[in-house]
Amino acid sequence: MDDRTREYLRGRFRDYYRSVSPSPPPDAHEREWGHIPWTTGTGTTMVRHQSMLDLGDLGAFFAETAPRHAYFSAARYDDPGASTMGGKGWRSADLVFDLDADHLPGVDPTETTYAEMLAACKDALGRLLEFLEDDFAFEDMEVVFSGGRGYHVHVRDPEVLELDSDARREVVDYVRAIDLDTENLVHTVSADGTTRRVLRSEGGWGKRVHEALVDYAEELRGMDDDAAMEKLQELDGIGEGRATTILGAFRQNPEALEQGNLEAGGPGVRRLAEALTARVTATETAPIDEPVTTDTRRLIRLPGTLHGGSALRVTRIDREDLADFDPLVDAVPERFEGREIAVECDEEREVVLGGDTFMVEPGRNTLPEYAGLFLMARGDARKVPES
Amino acid sequence: MDTDPLHARYPFFEAARGAVAEAEVALPELVAAGAPAVERGRERVERALMEGTVESETPEEYDARAELLSYPVARILVSLLDSAAAVEKYAVAEAATAAERFAADAQRGDDGLRSTATVAVDRDRILAEFDLADRVRAEPVSGNREPEWFRVGVGAYLSLSSPDWGESWRLVNRELAAGEVRVEREELYRLLRAAVRERVLEGLPFELESAGQLATELESQVADLKRLLSERPHVGPIDVVVPELFPPCMTNLIDKAERGVELSPPESFALMAFLTGIGLDVDEVVAFCADTSLDAEEVRYQTEYLRDDRGTQYPPPTCETLSAYGICHNEEEHWRVAADPLAYYETKLEAADDVTGWRERTAAEPSEG
Repeated sequence: MDDRTREYLRGRFRDYYRSVSPSPPPDAHEREWGHIPWTTGTGTTMVRHQSMLDLGDLGAFFAETAPRHAYFSAARYDDPGASTMGGKGWRSADLVFDLDADHLPGVDPTETTYAEMLAACKDALGRLLEFLEDDFAFEDMEVVFSGGRGYHVHVRDPEVLELDSDARREVVDYVRAIDLDTENLVHTVSADGTTRRVLRSEGGWGKRVHEALVDYAEELRGMDDDAAMEKLQELDGIGEGRATTILGAFRQNPEALEQGNLEAGGPGVRRLAEALTARVTATETAPIDEPVTTDTRRLIRLPGTLHGGSALRVTRIDREDLADFDPLVDAVPERFEGREIAVECDEEREVVLGGDTFMVEPGRNTLPEYAGLFLMARGDARKVPES
Repeated sequence: MDTDPLHARYPFFEAARGAVAEAEVALPELVAAGAPAVERGRERVERALMEGTVESETPEEYDARAELLSYPVARILVSLLDSAAAVEKYAVAEAATAAERFAADAQRGDDGLRSTATVAVDRDRILAEFDLADRVRAEPVSGNREPEWFRVGVGAYLSLSSPDWGESWRLVNRELAAGEVRVEREELYRLLRAAVRERVLEGLPFELESAGQLATELESQVADLKRLLSERPHVGPIDVVVPELFPPCMTNLIDKAERGVELSPPESFALMAFLTGIGLDVDEVVAFCADTSLDAEEVRYQTEYLRDDRGTQYPPPTCETLSAYGICHNEEEHWRVAADPLAYYETKLEAADDVTGWRERTAAEPSEG
C-alpha cells in the first residue's frame, strides 16, 4: 500500500473514531487489548498485552490511535496487562465462535463474489445459532459481523466461562458432528420381553436424524405409490422389496416412527436412517473455525471498530434484526456516506456495497467514499492526489 | 464433642469442613499421642495407593471421630509423599469409596430402610453438596421406582466429564437438548465421582515443611508409604504385547478373569497397572479384558488414572508387594527372573526372538459384521 493511500485511510479512520466511540465489552478491565497500527511496509505488528489502564479512556484512545485493526481478549485475567500469558492469571473466557467464508465447504474464494461468500456465511450462522439456542440453550449471546468475511458469536453464559480448552473442543465437535458415532444413534430398548431398535431422539444428532426421518416419511405419504417407491429406491441398498416394506410401515403405522422405533419397516428403515444420518451431518453442521473456540486466550475483533481490510464496521447485530441484516449495507459506516472520492484501479471489477453496484474501470474512478475506502483497504485501489 | 457419623462417612463435605479444620489444629497432639486416627490415616493412604479404596479393612476398630480425623491425617501424609501421582491416586480412591457409599445410601433409601437415615444421604443432598441441585434433574418415572435417566446442565456435564472416558461420553454422541445432557443413573454417579475427586484435590498437596514438627512426628508413617512407592528396577518403554511372556502371577489373574471369576480390587488393580505399564492404552486394555469377568466401564475408569500421560504415574506393585496381598506366589519361581512384573516381562521380551504381538493378531482377525 502506498503512503498516500495509507495516510488517507488512517485519517478517515480517525474521523470515524472521533464521531463514534466503540462501546466496551463486559468486564473490559479484565480483558487484554490489542491493535494493529497503520505501519508502513508489508509486515504487520500487533500491539498487545495492554489493559484498559494502558489505553486510558477508550474514546480518546481510538480517536488518537485510529488503529487499522482492534481486538480484545475473550478471556478475563487478574492482570491483563502482564507481558506474558502465564503472568496474566487466567480467570475465565467467553465462548467464541468464528464463521469465516474461507472455511465454508464448497465455497472457493477465488470463484465466489464477496456478496455470495457473506450470504453463504450467514446461512451457516443460522445453523450455528440453532445449535446454540436450541441444543445448548445459551442465553447471553452477542452476534457480530466481523467486518471481513464472516461472523462471530460471543457466548457469556456463566456456565461456559470457566470451561477449559478440551471442553470447548467438545462443543466444536458437537456442532460439526466430528467423531459422531452414527451406530450409537440407535440403541436397543427392552420392554415386555422383546427388544427393539430405537433412535436416540431426545436430543443431539439423534434428534436431528429423527426429525429428518419423520419429515421424509411425511413426504412419502404425500406422494402416490409410484413416486414414493421411486424416491426410496434412489437410496443405496434399498430395492423394490425393502421399499415396499418401508412404505407399508410408514402408511400403516406412522406412530412407530414418531417414537423413533426403527423395527417397523424392517432392515430397509435402518438403511434409510443411515442415509439420512449422512445427509443431516453433511448439511446441518456449521463449519466453525476450531482454534478460535478452543483457544481460551485469543484476541477477537472489537465490535464498533473498523476492519482495516474492508473499512467496514465490525457490527453487533441484535438477534431480532439478524434476519434482515445485510452486511454490505448495514456495516457501511455512516461517516463514509454522502461524499465521493477518486481512486485509481488496475483492474476492472464490480463492487456491491451500500445497496448499489459499481463498475470500476482500470484507471481513475469516482466512487462513493465508502466504496473507495473498501477498495483501498483491500489493496485493490490507490488514492488519487487531490487536485 | 460428638462426631456426626455423616461427617465421618463423607469427610470432604462442606459441612464437615469445620470438624476437619478443628482436627487440623489438634493434629500435632493427635500425632504425638499416637491417636487411632493416625494409624487409620496411614491405612487410608496405603489402601488408596494399593487398592484404589480408602475403606478400612478393620472398620470395627475405629469410632466416628477417628474415622473423621483420619481424613486430614491422610491428606497430610499424602502431601508428605511428595509425589503428584500419589496425590492423584489418593483423590481417585477417595472418590471411588465415596461413590460406593453414595450408591449404597441411595439403595438403602430405595429399600425404604429409613432407620439408618441419620447416616445415609440421599441424592438431593449429594447434588446440593456439589452445587448441582439446579443443574441435575431426574426424568419422571411412574410409581416409586428409582429414576433411570437424568438431565445434566451442559456446563456441569462438560466440567465434570472427560472425552477420554470413551466415545459414549463425547458430547457429539449425547442427547443434548435445551441445555441439558441426558445421562443414565450410573453415569450420573460417575460424574459425582469426578466431583468428589476434584473436591479432594482442592488444596493438595499441602505446603508442609519437611523438617516441621508434624512431618517429624509422622516420619515413620511416611517412610512406610514411601516404601510402597519405592524404587524398583527401571523399565524402559515397552510397546509389544505378548501375553505368552507375561509373568505367571499376571497370567493367573488373566486366567481367573477369563474363567469369569470376579477379581478382588487389589487383583484387578495389579492387572490394570501391569497392562498399562506395558503400554496398552485405555481402549486396548478394555479390548484385552473384553471376554473376562472385568466390567468394561470399571476397567476404563481404573486405567485412565493409571495411564502415564501425566508423566509421573506411579508404577505397578512389585511381586513382593503383590505377595503380601496374596496375589503373587512366586509361581514357577519367576522371582528368579525378576521380582517385578514389568521387569520380568521386559527380560522375557528381550530374550525372545520373533514374537507376534497381541495387537498384530487382533488386527489380523476379520472384524465381525
